Amino acid sequence: MVKAVVMPKLGQSEETVKIVRWRKQVGETVAKGDVLFEIETDKALLEVESFYAGTLLKIVAGEGVTVPVQSTVAFVGDPGEPVPEVVLPAVLPKKADASRPIAVLLPQRGSGLDHRTPSPLPPGGERGAGSAGPRAGEAPPAAPSVAEPQLFRISPRAAKLAKESVIDPTPIVGTGPSGRIVERDVKQYLEAQGYGRLRITPAAKKLAAREGIDLLRLGQKDDGSQITVADIERILAERPKPLTRMRQIIAQRLTESYTHAPHFFVTVSVDVTELESLRAELKAQGTSYTLTDFILKAAALALEQFPNVNSTSDGESIRWHSSIDLGLAVALEQGLVVPVIRQANELTLAEIHARAQELTAKARAGQLTPAEMTGSTFTISNLGMMDVENFTAIINPGESAILAVSSGAKQPVVRNDQVVIRSMMKMTLSSDHRLIDGALAARFLNSIRKTLEEISLWQRSI
Amino acid sequence: MAAFDIVVIGAGPGGYPAAIRAAQLGASVALVEKEELGGTCLNWGCIPTKTLIASSELFARIKSAGAMGLRVASASFDYAAMADRKDQVVQKLRNGVKQLLKANGVTVFHGSASFQSRNRIQVDPVAAGGEAVVLTSAKTIISTGAASAMPAFLPRHERVVESRGFLNLRALPATTLILGGGFIGCEFACMLAQLGVRVTIVELLEDIVGGIDTDVRRELRRHMEKSLGIRILTGVTLEEITADNRGVRGRAGQENLEADLLLVALGRKPVTQSLKLENAGLAPNERGFLDVDAYGRTRVATIYAVGDVTGGPLLAHAATSQGLVAAENACGRYLHKNETLVPNCIFTSPEIGTVGLSEQEAQQQGRKIKMGKYPFGALGKALAIGEPIGFVKWVADAETNQLLGAHAVGPHATDLIAEAAVAIRAELTAAELARTIHAHPTLAEAWMEAAHVLTGEPIHSAPPRKEVMKSN
Repeated sequence: MVKAVVMPKLGQSEETVKIVRWRKQVGETVAKGDVLFEIETDKALLEVESFYAGTLLKIVAGEGVTVPVQSTVAFVGDPGEPVPEVVLPAVLPKKADASRPIAVLLPQRGSGLDHRTPSPLPPGGERGAGSAGPRAGEAPPAAPSVAEPQLFRISPRAAKLAKESVIDPTPIVGTGPSGRIVERDVKQYLEAQGYGRLRITPAAKKLAAREGIDLLRLGQKDDGSQITVADIERILAERPKPLTRMRQIIAQRLTESYTHAPHFFVTVSVDVTELESLRAELKAQGTSYTLTDFILKAAALALEQFPNVNSTSDGESIRWHSSIDLGLAVALEQGLVVPVIRQANELTLAEIHARAQELTAKARAGQLTPAEMTGSTFTISNLGMMDVENFTAIINPGESAILAVSSGAKQPVVRNDQVVIRSMMKMTLSSDHRLIDGALAARFLNSIRKTLEEISLWQRSI
Repeated sequence: MAAFDIVVIGAGPGGYPAAIRAAQLGASVALVEKEELGGTCLNWGCIPTKTLIASSELFARIKSAGAMGLRVASASFDYAAMADRKDQVVQKLRNGVKQLLKANGVTVFHGSASFQSRNRIQVDPVAAGGEAVVLTSAKTIISTGAASAMPAFLPRHERVVESRGFLNLRALPATTLILGGGFIGCEFACMLAQLGVRVTIVELLEDIVGGIDTDVRRELRRHMEKSLGIRILTGVTLEEITADNRGVRGRAGQENLEADLLLVALGRKPVTQSLKLENAGLAPNERGFLDVDAYGRTRVATIYAVGDVTGGPLLAHAATSQGLVAAENACGRYLHKNETLVPNCIFTSPEIGTVGLSEQEAQQQGRKIKMGKYPFGALGKALAIGEPIGFVKWVADAETNQLLGAHAVGPHATDLIAEAAVAIRAELTAAELARTIHAHPTLAEAWMEAAHVLTGEPIHSAPPRKEVMKSN
């Protein structure tokens, strides 16, 4: 019996999802629970498992394709079974998303290309439909909304010469009928640009042709030596590449926050000497907590006391959050994610520890669901393991403050007019000044500090 | 005390060209040598061994001359005369170096150099009765080279020799045990086998001439074993080595081995002990070599090092190239980097020449490559001269066809590799090489034919099979 594999609905906000990679190929046997494919949402890369056992009969939506949720992406069944014909629903770019650049069909003629970053050549050295297509990973351009492209006219012989010379013919002014570029124009252009003086190794030229690099943009080398493969590879390495979806989201959200919310910063030093020895003691008894666990718990307590910090503003109104949901920034190879510990004020230290461990492990394995990454009301970013003196963090959109925790280190401090060695750890609170004033930030931050330093409290609660 | 712009320590193939180039650039140059001009290469390495190998090769060809339609009644050799010829060749070249240094105005000091400070070098006389001299130098080039490793577990006996000791022999042993199957061990093994000596090689690693392309190694080993009758024991150590006046004995695995001579070829150790590097603020690395940057500079800005003492490929031609680069950099010209493409030649029978990436190296780098191979057995000239053995092989980028590596095993492979080195350094693609007219009938045509295989249009071999077009 043929079963349709449907793109799951992952959360409230996701309407479309992009398939990044198929982990099973057509004809492969699939067991229930096997990972079928990987998807990319606005927040993360996720794996999708199969609900059915059988053979993967057909892939409807291939890699790089964006589909609406609930649509059929593949069929699983017995080998040889007939598979229904399915047409993928077209996915248009999100409406009202004016900030997203639309693929520009053609460069403006003579637009003064940057001489240091060579422009990619259109395929085959010709401009035409080929160069207007969307690049993998981009939404298809909303073609009708852009003005009709100016026709690029070039004779086949001229195009061939441009291609063989590995140059971009678009800046050439055509002298043929209707401004058509003819072979003579390309020859004159090459001569005027000093093409004959260009010295390049054969392999470098071939590589440039394959990668669509305009040789005229390379220029002469300072020492007069030949352009080599290494030079072309350097240019390729410097070529702009699209950011991953994760980095694009990070860029968009943090820019929005940093430009809309007026940030200010307050720093305190926490004496963690006794907390560290308590941790060591507990560890010896077989229970290990991280310093982050204590900070999460202390922050949850402070937020109960200062509901203004557990709120959000759009500049005109304030909205208090009814629960304390703590975001915990987790660094990944390719970016960072912020899983959420819900109602952290209701959890014991042991429960916070368990939840934090679970979410961190899922984050590192790329298995967090969008629901597990949305709706935090206050965020903690701990760089303690990275040996830093102090740092500031940018507030997560939808929150009014974020706590940046640095490394603990032994330092000489004054206690009762005596210089003693204590383990000191700096914490910096970034606050949205539209909601939080300096005095409030100081009181809130000192409340966390006092909780962390109040060792008898921890001893009682464990 | 004498003051010089440049002092070069060591007159081997790295040092003496450096001294000449520095002098050509207008510097006042001193060259310090404690033994002979020309270093290991000229006196106890490349030149004397190739002289002997030329004799043994010719002898082997004369013995097999029947196949070429010649009748040679009885061929025999006089090893002492061969050794004399070797000494004459060495003497002639040594005089040549001496004349060149003189003509270029290089002052040669005979003695052992050591640093007093970064720019003061003491030269102690080697023979008794001489007087120490102190030189001051603005820039110094260290090119002290390397010497054969003689580990402590080996008995010290006249029947246990390394390459330099072997070259002093005036008569050949009947049987020889060679410890180490690197290129020095294999070159000696082939030469001795051609002169009728029964040879056994004991190599610790799984194969001989490690680091060379696997196809090439297989071809060499087959010929050494089948054609020359050399016993090759790999993956075993030689233990319980003893030597006395009757011979040398050792045990390899379960087997007891015995021979008239033990030739030790276990690699080379850098020569730095007598330099008192610490006075110049330098120290060798954990393997004993002097670290240098891409421009040949040591940690001390005014001191350069070139050749074997810096590690790397331990080849005379690499040292020469580095010596010229160091001299030019030391004389304040536009800074050059050391060349990185170094051909490697092994004078075994058959010869081996390689340059650039091997198939295995390219795969380790994760490059997409393809191979073009052409056997000498299909080449007119190789058949005509009666040496239709071995092959040439290109390694090329799978997408651009850029030539990345070249490997030759067979007749004149060591001479043939020069063309490939030029092609690779000039970043040619297979198409240019294939279109270049190669004179006919020559052995070099093999490169062109192999390039045709790469472009998929071979004339003198079957269309490319799937195995040849391999990529990872």
